[in-house]
Amino acid sequence: MTDHALMSWLPPLAPAAPAWLATLQAAARAQVQTQIAAPDAEAWRYTSLNHLLEQGFVPIDETITALQPDDLDEVLIAGLDSRRVVFVNGRYAPELSATEALPPGVHLDSLRELLAHDPDAVRALLPAESATLPLFMALNVAGLDDGLVLRLDRAAILAQPLELIHLSIGLDQPSVAQPHHLIVLGDGAQATLVERYVSLGAAVYCTNAVIEIQLGRDAVLTHERLQTESKNAFHLSGLSLRQGANSRYQSVNLGLGSRWSRTELLTEFCAAHAECDLRGLYLAGDEQRIDYHLDVNHAVPNCTSRETFKGIIYGKGRAVFDGRVVVAKDAQKSDAAMSNQNLLLSPQAEIDTKPQLEINADDVKCSHGTTVGQIEPEKLFYLRSRGISAALARRMLCLGFADEIIHTLHSETLREHLSEQVGQRLESAPWD
Amino acid sequence: MLVVNGLRATVGEKEILQGLNLTVNPGEIHAIMGPNGSGKSTLAHVLSGRDGYTVTGGSATFAGQDLLALEPEQRAHLGLFLAFQYPVELPGVNNTYFLKAALNSIRKARGEAELDAVSFLRFIKEKLKILHLDESLLKRAVNAGFSGGEKKRNEIFQMALLEPKLAILDETDSGLDIDALRVVADGVNALRSPERSMIVVTHYQRLLDYIQPDFVHVLAKGQIIRSGGKELALELETTGYGWIDAEGLAA
Ligand SMILES: Nc1ncnc2c1ncn2[C@@H]1O[C@H](COP(=O)(O)OP(=O)(O)O)[C@@H](O)[C@H]1O
Ligand SMILES: [Mg+2]
Repeated sequence: MTDHALMSWLPPLAPAAPAWLATLQAAARAQVQTQIAAPDAEAWRYTSLNHLLEQGFVPIDETITALQPDDLDEVLIAGLDSRRVVFVNGRYAPELSATEALPPGVHLDSLRELLAHDPDAVRALLPAESATLPLFMALNVAGLDDGLVLRLDRAAILAQPLELIHLSIGLDQPSVAQPHHLIVLGDGAQATLVERYVSLGAAVYCTNAVIEIQLGRDAVLTHERLQTESKNAFHLSGLSLRQGANSRYQSVNLGLGSRWSRTELLTEFCAAHAECDLRGLYLAGDEQRIDYHLDVNHAVPNCTSRETFKGIIYGKGRAVFDGRVVVAKDAQKSDAAMSNQNLLLSPQAEIDTKPQLEINADDVKCSHGTTVGQIEPEKLFYLRSRGISAALARRMLCLGFADEIIHTLHSETLREHLSEQVGQRLESAPWD
Repeated sequence: MLVVNGLRATVGEKEILQGLNLTVNPGEIHAIMGPNGSGKSTLAHVLSGRDGYTVTGGSATFAGQDLLALEPEQRAHLGLFLAFQYPVELPGVNNTYFLKAALNSIRKARGEAELDAVSFLRFIKEKLKILHLDESLLKRAVNAGFSGGEKKRNEIFQMALLEPKLAILDETDSGLDIDALRVVADGVNALRSPERSMIVVTHYQRLLDYIQPDFVHVLAKGQIIRSGGKELALELETTGYGWIDAEGLAA
């Protein structure tokens, strides 16, 4: 059992870890072992772990110090107005970060440092007992090492977006990093978080990140997650979101890069009148595969959720959209609408889409819809009849399809950057 | 400029064009009229290269080239333009981006320099005025959520921008009220020149009050069965198309 490849992702427990943390990690470790022994067949129905496990990833206990701020230039988005926190291979890199002059009531720490200096503060942010987590989120907790801790006091406002950059560099040995972030917005606090996953170089590595978010009453968080890693990267990320009364969470999830990726979005309404808007766009081509798994819990009445995901799949790309909305028995007046639209550009491209509504209340408004289609010939002809080449016309139509998601990003600079990224990737897409 | 000779085309099993002849010289305006389902749009589509039609006979030569051997975009590069009977909505595709891509694709194919953003905008704004179109149109997605009239004006606007040698207007008048019709006709007339030809497909002679054709043809059952001057359109106005079956294709 312990020699399962996933168990070797875990570093030895830090001897100095406080007892409560050791307990939490041991519980997570036990969950991992249970799930390895008896895998959740439904959760892994469309995805094989073999390719990931074959890589023999190991954790590297090493802080990369060789990077200069210049090295960051190629991954920064010119013109994007932001403060930034950079993690290199899962470790906080203060010398690459730029977080000066935070507004009052905004506290930003490295999890590793906070654990060393004020472990009780961390303890207060983590759930008292470990809930059952999906496999890789449990694995992340078991291997807890570093991450961002962002706390906004009551009514604090972080107007300038905060960029959370995961920068990965390949090492001699295929390495795995498991950053764990904690974001807590007090009542009425507001922030915009741009979470990015980027690579320097094209080595094989794995990131298994978890981001835990708690929103207080009336808090508003805009969360944009941009995964543009190299074609050799393995990417896992999990969101665990808990929303207070009347809070608003709006997210855009863009999955463009990596060879193999899986994203889990777990959200839960903890009090009434909260809104959760999950949008996403994934692009899978060549040998890429990209999975999205949503678990949206309407646990209390009067909350609204939207799940809008679109996919473009080309070459031998494969994608999975597995979206589940659960409405609890007492969650009357829940309002949920899930949609998943896919564009398949080649005969070998593949999508498995499985939207599910589990409704246990009787006075709700819930819907879901799925489409899988190709580029419409009359649209293509319209563009070509105007002198536009077939290749450019196809790209324009794909970008038009993607735009419904991309145009919801908070800044024009980001919208342009991401459109360009999508366009570039499609430029090399084979069309048959 | 355009010579269509004995053109036959099928959709599936059905032969729609059954040996059609038509010659258009530079500067001429030809009106093509005919009952619904007679093959007017089919002719426009076959000439502009839409998929789904099989040409089973005849030929079409445009600017000295075998039109039917070319891709749709190559036909546009040569100066052919089709104003669609049903313009296609392209949600998410920005109109300005689309127009710039079209114009620069054509300019590039002709060996002309592409327009930069500034000169393009200047050029485009002049053309907007001609069609009484609001600048806000440029920010919208191509035809998405446009009213019927806006779509038709957008077609003529594109024509004004791309300055084709031969434009085929497929029922651009249908669904327009009289004011919109006038604006469209003004736009078309502003583009008349000794080098530019047009084929105006219409169901009603109303449009021809505003756009004076040099020739009027009646298309029925896949052929041009009568040709004449403007007076033919007026005659059709009174007789309708009922006579076609009686007179038939016996001639
Ligand atoms: N894609 C198609 N599939 C089947 N029949 C078609 C198609 N397009 C046109 N037709 C048929 O071809 C004939 C001519 O159509 P069309 O060219 O649209 O006529 P018009 O424009 O003169 O009204 C009609 O009978 C129509 O039903
Ligand atoms: Mg027609």
